[in-house]
Amino acid sequence: MVDLAFKSLLHDKLKFAITVAGVAFAVMLVFVQVGLFMGLMDNATITIQNISADLWVTSKNTPNIDFSHAFPQAYVERVRTIPGVERADNLIIWFSQLSLPSGAQEGTEIYALEDFSKWNLPWNIQSGDVEQLRRGRYIMMDNSAIKRYGKFEVGEYREINESRFKIIGRTRDARSFTTTPLTFMDYRLVQGLNQQQLTNRTTYILVKVASGADINTVQKEIQRRLPFNDVYTKQQWANKSRSYWIVNTGLGLNMAVTVFLGCLVGIVIVAQTLYSSTMEHLKEFGTVKAIGGSNADIYSILTKQASIAAIAGYVVGAGMAYGLRPAMAKVDLKLMISNELSVMVFVGALVLCLGAAMISFRKVASIDPALVFRT
Amino acid sequence: MNVLETQNVTKVFQEGREQVNVLNGVSLALEAGEIVALEGPSGSGKTTFLSIVGCILTPSSGRVFVDGEEVDSLNPAQLPEIRKKSIGFVFQQYNLFPSLTALENVQYALKIKGKTGPAARKEADKALESVGLTDRKNFLPRDLSGGQKQRVALARALAGAPPLMLADEPTANLDTQLGTQIIELFRESAKRDNRGVLIVTHDPKVRTIADRVLQIRDGRILQ
Repeated sequence: MVDLAFKSLLHDKLKFAITVAGVAFAVMLVFVQVGLFMGLMDNATITIQNISADLWVTSKNTPNIDFSHAFPQAYVERVRTIPGVERADNLIIWFSQLSLPSGAQEGTEIYALEDFSKWNLPWNIQSGDVEQLRRGRYIMMDNSAIKRYGKFEVGEYREINESRFKIIGRTRDARSFTTTPLTFMDYRLVQGLNQQQLTNRTTYILVKVASGADINTVQKEIQRRLPFNDVYTKQQWANKSRSYWIVNTGLGLNMAVTVFLGCLVGIVIVAQTLYSSTMEHLKEFGTVKAIGGSNADIYSILTKQASIAAIAGYVVGAGMAYGLRPAMAKVDLKLMISNELSVMVFVGALVLCLGAAMISFRKVASIDPALVFRT
Repeated sequence: MNVLETQNVTKVFQEGREQVNVLNGVSLALEAGEIVALEGPSGSGKTTFLSIVGCILTPSSGRVFVDGEEVDSLNPAQLPEIRKKSIGFVFQQYNLFPSLTALENVQYALKIKGKTGPAARKEADKALESVGLTDRKNFLPRDLSGGQKQRVALARALAGAPPLMLADEPTANLDTQLGTQIIELFRESAKRDNRGVLIVTHDPKVRTIADRVLQIRDGRILQ
């Protein structure tokens, strides 16, 4: 089968390369922007997703997991009495100051529980025993802290709020949206560090619902008994935390604008290239019409060329985005490219290219086949 | 049987506020197997006439029959079907698709006519063979000489065996020897396949193969 669309597109290889580069650039930009955004959003909720709580009790109107407010820790007793609750424990998430050996100070976000192992926290332990945290002035720190704190080893000491703690273990992948490194320590210890705000107070209650119990029913009952707190399912709490960063910080708009600009650049390049290609091939299209071809025949050529540009551009752009992932990981940026994102970007690239091709349709429709007689 | 017949064809173009009468009642009959050369100076209306009988333009008035079918009253959307079915074009500038080989150029014309697959390939081969280009069939137009390009264009026009062939100055860009070869191919095609051929030309060599030579001046055919 003679494929005029394909052959004509590849006939001018430089122009084809420019078209593909335009699409690839837009595709890569969207992948990187959305991928970084998704990476940030993953960081924003990674602890919520990994802690094995079905329900979270927060103080009223807590906007996200990092910005916690304290409330009486005795509320946990009320929760434990509710039918359908298998287990409920207090969790404190609190920002403190950590002194570095250099004398400098850095912030740290402390996660404090009485029994970490019951809640799958931390979920990725590189070294150390989480059970030991409650047996002394011990902490575990996440590897991601190296970037902010410098190198640290198990057995070394660090000061938090001017109290000395021994590092007994290292974790991986425990991060927050704020990029403040996470430190794990015993519940009572963090209360001792911040007595004014945290004595007899907690910031969250984690709830495990008994198997067979209805989560929504339990959630409603906790809410009834703790009317001055909020109660969320894991997904609701993750969504709320995410939407805070997306909406309240303008991050979502920022990303949308960048993605839009990426798409705009892509569509302008493709449209411009396809249109100029159409103009250059007017006589050929006139010949197609003169020998009996219809506008639809020419539309199909342009559509096919746009599709080829979209597919080739997508492959190159996606390849570049995947290639960038290790480099970004080295600078501590998480580029998340999900299957859903890949499909969406592919469909988007195809739609953009076809849209760009349509700009040429009007020109094609107006081609006078009599131009084949002109010299 | 006439493969082309026009009766009192006129064509008026609007240029600003003025009306320009390009054709003023052109009547012509072209029989199957007949070659007619249409000569005339620039601006005499010969290209407009070629466009009308080629179903590219519609006349302002008058009647046009192509292969027995009246086409003057058809709407523009119906004309491509007539071009596809009944007319082969040969242009002065060849108008080959530069990205397609000689064979593919002919095959593409067949594809437009709805013919694909091995049968189309065979027909394209045969068309190229008839113009003596079998050994150049896999060459791109840029690798062919002017005469070879025009032969490919002729093969493309022959593909699908249209009963009518229209040629616009087919030898204008060729030297004398190549021009002679091309018009000889036109003659062969007309006589072998009983095809009507209308050639618009300034080239006196075309007279040597034409059954009739008509002169067009100011939109009228001189008898």
